[in-house]
Amino acid sequence: MNMDHLLQNFPMEMGFALLEYRSRGDFLPIAELPNWFAELWPDAANGSGPIPLSQQSPFLENFMLEAEDFWNSPGSAACQSETWVEKSISGREIPVQARALFLSGKRILALFSPDSQFREQMKMLQTARNALLDHERLAREIQKKEILLHCIVHDLSQPLSVMHVAMDSLSEESISERSKQYLTLGKHASNQQETMIRQILQTFSDDLRASLDVGTEAGESADLLECARKTMTLLGPTFEAKGVRLAVSATVAPESKWPVAAEQSRLQRIFSNLLENALRYTPAGRRVTIGVEDEGDFLKAYIDDEGPGLPHDLRPEQIFGLFMKGKQSGGKAGLGLYFCRITVERWGGSIGCVTLPEKGSRFWFRLPRATARGGERPSDTRDSSDSATAKRKSAPIRPLRILLADDQEDIRTLTAHQLKRNGHKVVVAKDGAHALRTFHAASFDVALLDQEMPGMTGDEVARAIRKAEQGKKKPIFLVASTGNTTAEDARRLKQAGFDEVLGKPFRLEDLNHILSSAPVAKPVSQLASLPSSPPSASFAELVARVGGDEKLVKRMIHTFLRDTPKRLAGIAAAIRRKNPEGLASLAHALKGSVSIFGAEAARIQAHELQELGRSGELSGAPDVLVRLKEEIAKLQANLRGYANQTPARPKSKRDNRRRPPRNRGKRRR
Amino acid sequence: MLQKKICMLGAFAVGKTSLVRRFVESIYSDVYQTTVGVKIDKKNVQVDDKEVSLVLWDIYGEDDYQKMRWTYLRGASGYLLVADGTRKATLEKAVNLEQKVREEVGVIPFVLVINKSDLIRDWELDSALESQLAVQGWSILRSSAKTGEGVEESFALLTRKMLG
Repeated sequence: MNMDHLLQNFPMEMGFALLEYRSRGDFLPIAELPNWFAELWPDAANGSGPIPLSQQSPFLENFMLEAEDFWNSPGSAACQSETWVEKSISGREIPVQARALFLSGKRILALFSPDSQFREQMKMLQTARNALLDHERLAREIQKKEILLHCIVHDLSQPLSVMHVAMDSLSEESISERSKQYLTLGKHASNQQETMIRQILQTFSDDLRASLDVGTEAGESADLLECARKTMTLLGPTFEAKGVRLAVSATVAPESKWPVAAEQSRLQRIFSNLLENALRYTPAGRRVTIGVEDEGDFLKAYIDDEGPGLPHDLRPEQIFGLFMKGKQSGGKAGLGLYFCRITVERWGGSIGCVTLPEKGSRFWFRLPRATARGGERPSDTRDSSDSATAKRKSAPIRPLRILLADDQEDIRTLTAHQLKRNGHKVVVAKDGAHALRTFHAASFDVALLDQEMPGMTGDEVARAIRKAEQGKKKPIFLVASTGNTTAEDARRLKQAGFDEVLGKPFRLEDLNHILSSAPVAKPVSQLASLPSSPPSASFAELVARVGGDEKLVKRMIHTFLRDTPKRLAGIAAAIRRKNPEGLASLAHALKGSVSIFGAEAARIQAHELQELGRSGELSGAPDVLVRLKEEIAKLQANLRGYANQTPARPKSKRDNRRRPPRNRGKRRR
Repeated sequence: MLQKKICMLGAFAVGKTSLVRRFVESIYSDVYQTTVGVKIDKKNVQVDDKEVSLVLWDIYGEDDYQKMRWTYLRGASGYLLVADGTRKATLEKAVNLEQKVREEVGVIPFVLVINKSDLIRDWELDSALESQLAVQGWSILRSSAKTGEGVEESFALLTRKMLG
């Protein structure tokens, strides 16, 4: 075997086909052709004349344009094709690469089949793209899982809370042995159900955290306006197509920062869902406006449309319900707004909607302003071990003054009942705003706040309370009751200002255990006489208020002392008869009367009763009436003193009771 | 016989190869197999009494791993722009590709094919965007390489547009 023969076969052995360029598209082999070439183009391989490769392969025909440029411009950059796939007569796919080059001054086309390299590259790309597709699928699944998670922890846990407390209450009643057995069975079953719910919750929350790195980690933040703008860019063409204008409100300063505690991609999805909702209901030629507002600790975003406004048959909170969709131009599954609500609430914010006065509707949400965060939280507030339970049971119960807020009436009633049985003084509130008003109107040791309440969430109430308390030596002990009991939830709630987190459904021993660690400001027996503000303005102040007419003040006092017992009796009757309108009206009148005398504490209590009457929620009214009577009694004592002195120093209750009024004596004479 | 080159363009995994296989071989596979490089197929069709030989360039979907080589469009008479109805981002990719083709090659006939209509329950695309593109003069068809729905129609429509 000579060297020429070796060189002639070498390219073939290496898998190369070397062909000399003759004329456009025609080539002559300059060495033996490899097998893959013969498999692809057998006629060309077996023939003796020039091979019309451009006719054989459209890809090569295209490549020739680049190759000819190369050959016609010696010294230019190397000319090599990417891999393409040719199919043999038998149907086998063969990858091929081409390269134009010069050999001994000849124009040469080198063809190569990078089979193993191609398979390797394909495998790598297949893996990478499958991973990307999996990631996309997973991102879509996240939304569904979050909805399911919320259903489990909230909708299933709520009734279980009632069952627990009801059975605890029942077990303390005098019931037969057989009834006790039934009760034990019921407790056992509800405990089992609770365990299952917790397991599912844990599984889902772990799954969510592990599946995508998009959780609401501590310290994570996004810019509200930036996310709004990004979403507007994405949805811009859709709005244009419908002929609806989309704009940021002119009142928003473009360069300002709006950092909120939220995760960016989900925040954009919230904007996207709300904007798509607005587009559905906005006719062509109208406008949708996005705006942001600063609310101190919270930042608020809103989307105003110029559609027909909210449906009359739905309350705003119902619109954010699961599977809730409009009758006309409605969404696909009723999940979009529900997703917005659960996501905003899990970030410690709130969401709502209103019909605008002139036209259209406003959908808004507020999120906590992003700040530096600190303070690690316990991983789980739960401890269901026997020893823990025993410890809780044995914890001594100290009487406390408790503000209990929960929008679910049965939980509120049963929990209040149990707390009162344990010797606590309880004032109930039916929602967050009500709770905050009540907090401002009286002193409490503990506030037990449901996390998910309409209007203001427990988080928002807690933040507002902590803000109001700044500088106080003994802040109120805040307990969150919530169905969301993951470590992340506990961390978020404690950041909002809660001292403890009570997972729903809860047992009384869990609650008692937490209450046992609450600091007591004053013994309950002393709370009634706590001086929150002076019972009234001084007599001199009152006289000054009416232009120095002392007689007029005395007539006013006389009228007040005469009419107030009747009004209080009327209020008590309205509460007893469950007459909210009557309560609101009488409380309003009494509020006006006590205001004349500068009795701030009494005014707050009267106002609270008026609000309860207006809301129709009377369960907390008896407690407020008790406090109102206490304040009125102090006021009456003062006013009786004023009636006897000119001007008089306010006297103590005891002095007034013992000493007969001087004026009365004079009149007798 | 008249010969026309058609390029298949679109994001990865939208079903370009599946559409070609359905059209040329009447075959469909549920297993996603990524395309590396370029695959070329041919099919003769009759459109409005004209016999046309279509040369179909199935070009890999552009992503971070493979960048589009615009020289592949040289000599193309038209292209099918393919999007996946279940993945919103693929329509945005199609819109970008159309713009890029105009810049690199000029204005040539194309049809937007929104594939995977058999998965309409998982559809992510907003019909408003489709309407907007239609208003801009885009020819848009929905297809399913799995069921064959809209496949022949898409190639036929493009062929008609190419024949002018």
